[in-house]
Amino acid sequence: MLASSWKAAGFTYNKYLQIAARAIRKSLKEEARLKAEKRGPLELKYVKWENGKQGEPQNLPK
Amino acid sequence: MNTFRAARFALRAKPTASFLGRRTYADAAGPSDKIRLSLTMPHQAIFKGTDVVQVNIPAETGDMGVLANHVPSVEQLRPGLVEIIEEAGSTRQYFVSGGFAVVQPNSQLSVNAVEAYTLDEFSIEAARAQLAESQKIASGQGSEADIAEAKIEVEVLESLIAALK
Repeated sequence: MLASSWKAAGFTYNKYLQIAARAIRKSLKEEARLKAEKRGPLELKYVKWENGKQGEPQNLPK
Repeated sequence: MNTFRAARFALRAKPTASFLGRRTYADAAGPSDKIRLSLTMPHQAIFKGTDVVQVNIPAETGDMGVLANHVPSVEQLRPGLVEIIEEAGSTRQYFVSGGFAVVQPNSQLSVNAVEAYTLDEFSIEAARAQLAESQKIASGQGSEADIAEAKIEVEVLESLIAALK
């Protein structure tokens, strides 16, 4: 079943939900879709501070 | 333990008159023949502690109808239709992307999903076009991750198109 295929690919449950939700958003009618797709992309960056100095900003892996 | 199993089994099937009268767990909260439903997403709550008669959910283990006094359980949801039968007898349907349904002991039901929309908000053409594309990727030569991603999309879209027909 489905569960095995996404688990086998090493996806987390969150990643799986994110893909499923994206497919649903893309299937909406134009007006609702434009509103919904704004909440799709999500990015997180983090920066490590050492000895009072800012390090390189890193993307949090998805 | 045996009676518990039997009750659980009976509740999984579509509701019949025989178990409407049965009391299995808490009798305390709310009107005894109603279930208090919360249907929530990260950005919106469609139902917020509303009393309804019955909720049919697409659990990973099979479709199930939840009435008042259901045995407490946690169910993972497949992408599919959540059907809500309200007090007035009207039915509302939402297509959810997957998430969890938690049946609490005092006739409370929380359904949590990432996306939930009524069927009239979907465009079947958009879904079909996407399905064709995902199927192409799923049977193509891409990386394992791309193929797995496309397979998830195929499953979601097939379920959606079946619900829209």
